[in-house]
Amino acid sequence: MARSAVNSDLNRRDFLRLSSLAAGAVVPPIAAASPLAGAALPPAAAEGPVTYLALGPDEAFIVERLVDVMCPADDLTPSGTELGLAQFIDRQLAGAFGQGQGLYLRGPFRPGIPEDGYQRPLNPLDFFRHGLHGLDQACRRRRGGGFTDLDAGVADAVLTEVAAGGWDAEQTGLSEWFNDLLYPLFVQACFADPVYGGNRGKAFWRLVGYPGLPAVYSRDMITYRGRPHPAANDPKSIEDFS
Amino acid sequence: MKILPEHPCVIVGGGLSGGLVARQLARRGLPVLVLERGGERHQGGESRLPSQRDELRWAVRGGLMQDAAVETYTLRRSRNEPSRPLRRLQVFLPGTGVGGAATHWNGQSFRWNDYNFALRTRLEQRYGRGAIPDDMPLQNWGVGHDELEPSYDLFEKLFGVAGKAGNLRGVIQPGGNPFEAPRQNEFPQPPLEITEAGALFKQTAEREFGYRPFPSPAANSPAPYVNPDGMRLGACQYCGHCDRFACEANAKGTPDVLLFPWLSRQPGFELRTHCHVLGLDFDRSAGRIRAVRYLDLQTGEEVLQPCQTAVLAGFTLTNARLLLAGGIGRPYDPASGTGVVGKNFCYQASAGIPLFFRDRWLNPFLGAGASVTVMDEFNDDNFDHAGLGFHGGGFIAAGTSSGRPIMSRRLPPGTPRWGTAWKQANADWYAHHMAVGVQGSCYPHRENFLDLDPDYADAFGQPLVRMNFDFRGNEQRMMDFMATKALRIAQAMGATVVGGVSRPGAAFETRFYNGTHVTGGTIMGPDPDTSVVSPRLQHWDAENLFVVGASVFAHNSGHSPTVLVGALALRLGDDLARYFARPGRLS
Repeated sequence: MARSAVNSDLNRRDFLRLSSLAAGAVVPPIAAASPLAGAALPPAAAEGPVTYLALGPDEAFIVERLVDVMCPADDLTPSGTELGLAQFIDRQLAGAFGQGQGLYLRGPFRPGIPEDGYQRPLNPLDFFRHGLHGLDQACRRRRGGGFTDLDAGVADAVLTEVAAGGWDAEQTGLSEWFNDLLYPLFVQACFADPVYGGNRGKAFWRLVGYPGLPAVYSRDMITYRGRPHPAANDPKSIEDFS
Repeated sequence: MKILPEHPCVIVGGGLSGGLVARQLARRGLPVLVLERGGERHQGGESRLPSQRDELRWAVRGGLMQDAAVETYTLRRSRNEPSRPLRRLQVFLPGTGVGGAATHWNGQSFRWNDYNFALRTRLEQRYGRGAIPDDMPLQNWGVGHDELEPSYDLFEKLFGVAGKAGNLRGVIQPGGNPFEAPRQNEFPQPPLEITEAGALFKQTAEREFGYRPFPSPAANSPAPYVNPDGMRLGACQYCGHCDRFACEANAKGTPDVLLFPWLSRQPGFELRTHCHVLGLDFDRSAGRIRAVRYLDLQTGEEVLQPCQTAVLAGFTLTNARLLLAGGIGRPYDPASGTGVVGKNFCYQASAGIPLFFRDRWLNPFLGAGASVTVMDEFNDDNFDHAGLGFHGGGFIAAGTSSGRPIMSRRLPPGTPRWGTAWKQANADWYAHHMAVGVQGSCYPHRENFLDLDPDYADAFGQPLVRMNFDFRGNEQRMMDFMATKALRIAQAMGATVVGGVSRPGAAFETRFYNGTHVTGGTIMGPDPDTSVVSPRLQHWDAENLFVVGASVFAHNSGHSPTVLVGALALRLGDDLARYFARPGRLS
């Protein structure tokens, strides 16, 4: 299973191995200060070391913890980190989505009601970071430790309170951050094609019985109307047809 | 600015309307130039396997859609509040590129009830002169169903529409929509296969309630099809990737498959892509459009294209923007109720009820965009509204058109949003969920209109269109009624769990998709004081300017707009051929 390169047992040897894999013989000096200077690292394979592009080590550690609380290892699936959910979120934030593709960011800026949707000047990457640090700091103030220090049960309860807006007085916009940015990314990480780094091994497609590709069902419409579809047991992804 | 030689006919927008108008001209050998802001679609990952089946890229991130960072719209729900931009376009989805929004449509291909075109007269006759409230500027369109019937018929043949006639030359046909206006011909293709969800709904609606459900007319081709132009559709694979996607099997009736490849072979036809139209040069004293100005997005150069005739065939709000920005026609003033441009902006009131069946395999991933079973008993004015306190209605429908797991997955109410219990619920219910939906009308309201936002601009420095809109009392009461009707059916279907009704709330919601059926703003009508274009779609103040698209709808019905948009465009194409032969005011 995939290992995280940013959790607390990261050591110098791992870092050097990763860097040399990425950059060949030349390790840029800047990488020494930041083992996750992401642009130098290759995209992660389905199996192999977990790499991050947009998130720093501490940020990635919180995101890993978040996806492991929201998708714990159980009889249904491996943990969120093992499924690449944190890496999916990082990739989305590092790419076009995080940079504000499809997002109108001109002023004037006028805070609105929730139904108005996102009204902040920050791009999604910056808003994500802002919310992530805000959550962590609020946890320190209210729970006596950072988010990653909390027991799973406590962390789960914290997220429930955050989602319901209970921490907005403490940290403005935290429920919006959770509900409208983190949560959609989490769901996308679970259910998007594995080519984006989440849903490793098509675990969530298997879980629910979504057959994926190629989805050519002209005959199946009749054969499997009202009956279980055999492809649901063995979903196929973009990579399977590439 | 680069100035080009004059062209006889310039069409703004390479979508459904522009393509159909161009077809009617090109088949007569008349020259026509289409300006499209986007590019061609058929070489890219959006229309090839396996990349076409990428929900994240095409559906969630809106890969085929207008880029809100370049151009979006603003909203205010009343004139007392400041506007705010829709910073992401989520609630409706204008397309860009050849084919426009019709590339990524679902294919629901309804004709409208005939009385819609004289709705004001109909309601006054049926319910009395005072039955239409003062704040509802319903008005007649100045066109009749019989005039449109040949164009409807041609559209259905060109797009290979699949369905079952309900009224063939006045004789009600079993299995079709008994409320439909008389049609001269059966649909060119038989209906799509019914889904398990549709079959369940049909059985309940018929047996328990005596309703007469029918298969939605569909521009998803159930079999290989050749249209009158020799253009081919493949057979639908029921892959569940219609709306928000281009069809990789060429099985969905779209302009980029059926119209533009044919047009490109006609002498005198020219398509210029990546041309973003900035404005029309209006000679007010002469009452004529002199030129179309556009930005060539490949060079950054501004281009003046003089023209003898101009046709606005952009998305609903684009047509309104170009008229408002060009000072063409009097802007609507809600305070006095006078003026016309921007007036009667309407949308579509929708609702849904999720259902979960422990022991039924509904397989939501088996479906086409329009493989839906529909009933029209409570649509528009198909039922008596006396004493109900509202006008309008909608269809009630069920079926599956997509089981895409990010956006189309439903869970029973009360399910935790994450964790083991969430995962278990997904495992338990994914293959076993469906919804009963309502697609409702939206009649005009005095305060629902379009104007230009004084505070926000697009990437080219032009003002954004401001939507002054909310679902007002009439639509809220209509949805109360429709939700109750739909819920009764849903509750009789034998589901293990019947979820709550999702429907328009107290404040217009911009974050979730509600359909792309935005209408009005440049409405048609017989009276220049209350409409922007004539019943022939000719601008009242500029004889050589024509406007086409859902922007000319005087109100929105409970049926989808696309086929009516198509019929109006085909009719306009025929009218333009007459106009070129003998310019002047068309009657």
